[in-house]
Amino acid sequence: METAWPQHIIAQLKAYRIRFLSYVPDAIGEQILRLARQDPFFDILPLAREEEGVGVVAGQYMGGARGALLMPTAGVGNALNALASLAIPYQVPLPMFIGWRGELGEFNAAQVPLGQALPALFAALHIPTFVLRYAPEVPTVVAGALKLAYSAEQPVAVLISTQLAGWKDER
Amino acid sequence: MINRLRATRFIVAQVHDEPIIASLGNPKFDLFAAGDRPQNFYMWNSMGMAASMGLGLAMARPAQKVIVLDGDGALLMNLNALTTAAARAPQNLIHVIWDNRQFALTGGQPTHTAFRADLAQLARGAGFERVVAVDTQEAFEQAFLQAMATPGPWIIVARVDDQQATARPPKSPTYIKHRFMQSLGAYDT
Repeated sequence: METAWPQHIIAQLKAYRIRFLSYVPDAIGEQILRLARQDPFFDILPLAREEEGVGVVAGQYMGGARGALLMPTAGVGNALNALASLAIPYQVPLPMFIGWRGELGEFNAAQVPLGQALPALFAALHIPTFVLRYAPEVPTVVAGALKLAYSAEQPVAVLISTQLAGWKDER
Repeated sequence: MINRLRATRFIVAQVHDEPIIASLGNPKFDLFAAGDRPQNFYMWNSMGMAASMGLGLAMARPAQKVIVLDGDGALLMNLNALTTAAARAPQNLIHVIWDNRQFALTGGQPTHTAFRADLAQLARGAGFERVVAVDTQEAFEQAFLQAMATPGPWIIVARVDDQQATARPPKSPTYIKHRFMQSLGAYDT
């Protein structure tokens, strides 16, 4: 049976010993969290706002444990200053998995401006950014992004496209 | 009224190898003045993040007390972090909030605690059960000793005077990080 993309992400998180998952929910990230909740390896922290996750993962890392942040596109806007003023200068490996809204198949005009700006925002902060579009590339891209985060001690962004994860039926 | 530097000196005298996360501005200046130690984390910006970083650190190190020194202005910028920490409720977390009712570093503009906001009430509303508000050094010392000796999470809101800190800790973020992680034996290999 074919392994679905969320299972590949779960497998890579475990391979990189990323035990703590902090999140603000979105429909795409939930496809990963649904699996993580069934796996006792993971310790999952719901956040009220994405910016908190930058601080939480920084604290976990400096305490000797690895964490990742799952969030919607809108959350990147909420997290920008914490990324720029904490994760980058203090060199925190911060893997971010972002459900990418405002792109292919978007029904909601209010999702589009930030969604379209996302790659440029990360580029401006020199945060390496990778897009998951096709299922077969998921293990390689995710493993490579995680390896880079810990070797270079920096945030990395993995954008999960609607091409891979599906878009909302709403018109 | 509590003097923040005096109260911080008391904290530093009580701890052994427990990590302390100090928020930007006066909390970290006074932590450095009270006693520089590798287990001190000095936050140079990212206003509001001390609360969240303390939660993450407390999750990663459940066997050890983790102390956060925050300011009223910084916490007001990340109030939702109280609800997240209260939901998780790590027993080893001690969150001290120095409430001087002003943004001291930018000219003393009033924060909302100068008017109607009550951080202890907000912490209780967020779900914290062990919340103490103190306004004398004696009451602060008693609250901090209790927090060190008993399971939390603890919130201590300390009403402090408006004395400005003069000391300045090291400014290199990577130096602060590496020293801190090494002191905790937290190196990721």
